[in-house]
Amino acid sequence: MDREREQGAALKPAKGVRRRQILAGVGAVFGTGLAASIAGAQSPPQSTVARSEVRSWDITTDVLVAGSGAAGVCAALEAKTQNVEVLLIESLPRLGGASAMSGGVVYAGGGTSLQRALNIEDSVEAMYEFIVTSGSRHPQLDKIQLYCESSPAHFDWLVAQGVTYKQSFTKAKGLPFGDESLYYSGNELAWPSAELARPAPRGHVPGVPGMNGGRTLMEALLARLKKLGVATRTGLAGQRLVVENDGRVVGMVVEGASGTVNIRARNGVVLACGGFIHNRDMLRRYAPELYDCSVPWGNAGDLGGGINMGIAAGAEALRMHQGFAIAPMYPPENVLSGIVVNASGQRFISEESYHGVLGHAIAFHQQGKAWLITDSASSYSFAQDNFPLVARSNTLGDLAALAGFPQGALQHTLAYYNRFASVGRDPLFQKNHQFLRPLQGPPYSAWDVSVDRAFFPAHTFGGLHTDVDGRVINSFGDAIPGLFAAGRTVAGLPTAPYIASGLSVGDCSFFGRRAGIAAAQGGTA
Amino acid sequence: MALRLFLLALLPLAAVAQIEEPGTRLLEGDAERGRLVFGQCRTCHYPDPAMGHNNGPNLHRIFGRVAGKQEGFEYYSETFKQAEFVWTPQLLNLWLANPRAMFPDSTMMSLGVVDAQQRADLIAYLKQASVKKLTQEDPP
Repeated sequence: MDREREQGAALKPAKGVRRRQILAGVGAVFGTGLAASIAGAQSPPQSTVARSEVRSWDITTDVLVAGSGAAGVCAALEAKTQNVEVLLIESLPRLGGASAMSGGVVYAGGGTSLQRALNIEDSVEAMYEFIVTSGSRHPQLDKIQLYCESSPAHFDWLVAQGVTYKQSFTKAKGLPFGDESLYYSGNELAWPSAELARPAPRGHVPGVPGMNGGRTLMEALLARLKKLGVATRTGLAGQRLVVENDGRVVGMVVEGASGTVNIRARNGVVLACGGFIHNRDMLRRYAPELYDCSVPWGNAGDLGGGINMGIAAGAEALRMHQGFAIAPMYPPENVLSGIVVNASGQRFISEESYHGVLGHAIAFHQQGKAWLITDSASSYSFAQDNFPLVARSNTLGDLAALAGFPQGALQHTLAYYNRFASVGRDPLFQKNHQFLRPLQGPPYSAWDVSVDRAFFPAHTFGGLHTDVDGRVINSFGDAIPGLFAAGRTVAGLPTAPYIASGLSVGDCSFFGRRAGIAAAQGGTA
Repeated sequence: MALRLFLLALLPLAAVAQIEEPGTRLLEGDAERGRLVFGQCRTCHYPDPAMGHNNGPNLHRIFGRVAGKQEGFEYYSETFKQAEFVWTPQLLNLWLANPRAMFPDSTMMSLGVVDAQQRADLIAYLKQASVKKLTQEDPP
């Protein structure tokens, strides 16, 4: 192992990378046990490290934040404003976490400055109703309430940190590819959400062309972090929490290129290490439906480290099987005039549903199997790699036989659908008129929208139980002293089904801030 | 070893099969399976030129390009900015086996693809997708 380390170190090029250095790299790749090097260094065998076992501290700070996505960075920013010493560590060479790889959408409403500038009517109540009635059963209501009430102020805080938004709104479904900053980012307009809460566009995304909103958001927040002088260290991965005799968390044992580092945190530790979508074993055990989705969607650091450190310190973990499972059928919107059916050839949802709601229905309620049936006008008109074409025919009967639906089932579904669609009705799922018309123009096509055949990204939502201030709660309902968490390391606002883009990064940034403040105050606030 | 691998980077695939080290052989890939293996890369990389750069550079016509030199992409690590090698399927295979062992300061937020068959599948897919324009009509 030592020799391999040396090889690895020798690799680091001072100047140009030439072939010889690549070859040295090749040697390192094949000289090293791959699994061992990917899993990182050996962890101590205990689930937590007792304070008495730590002979000396290598680094001492007031607040230690582990993780550099939106949650960690916002925690560090706010902790710093409390006039304490803050150290933020990141396991990867680059800061930004999964937030920097995301769309960068923050779900905000109740009359944000951007909504008001665009004359869009919204209320805290409508936003709250939408999240509570469209999301999962028995959510953590106090978090939702506080998030909605604080939403306009939180948006202004993001702007004050240097995140820029454009005064521009689009009605188009899906993350804007243009530079618009406000859109309907979720299921607001689809049934039954539209009947349960007054819809408003609440997806706030930095106004940059392309899908680079997450990077833009994190660049602004990281620039602010630098400006405030928060210390950051990359290449340090958390391994175990250090716990005092009285149960208080007082530090973390982390692993870096040069070995183990003991970091003391006088006031508190904030776990903001992301979810666990890239920890395949953990995913299979906790979230089997997400495990079956074809594309793990996240940052390489989403290995569950923060969740496991927290559980080891006594934390309760919630909703570990939940996450987003996404069937990104749109854009283009013309395909939403098609119908989505299960293995029995039956519809089970309004096709216009937010792709997280549609994906959830497929992954969790249809055994992962679904097909999009289109006629000529609702077909994908360009080559796409997301949904394989499994059958095409000029008659529905032949299509059904080719695709393998039970005899007569698809024909029955379409006869019923067309009969009502022709008079502008969808008795089953109240599909919007915009997308509702009979399917009757050959050729007909069947596209595979199953979790294991389609491009079906998944990310985890389960994590540690925290209160509204990011205090980590143990299995007896008490806060663990000195331990705080935020982002996808905790079970937060995003639950399954995922009802709108921006709930996750919104939750990360908002509750990250609160965890940072609470940690700086040592949990005594 | 060094010389052989040097050649490996330059020779066409058929020739490589004659000289390679055990464990470095590029397996035969399946582009359809690779379509889904590549899925996680699409968090940051698009093979379609119309989609432009994201957190990672666009991968249109990536094979044969000098690494780290794409116009309009400003997020390369120093390693890649200074790189002088050309992307080949063989090098991509080595790189994806364990990116951080090969170039520790890379900013690519991926642990690579551990499974050799999956890497081969991904490469088979990318060979097709990186030269295709998705604006083409879908063949019936």
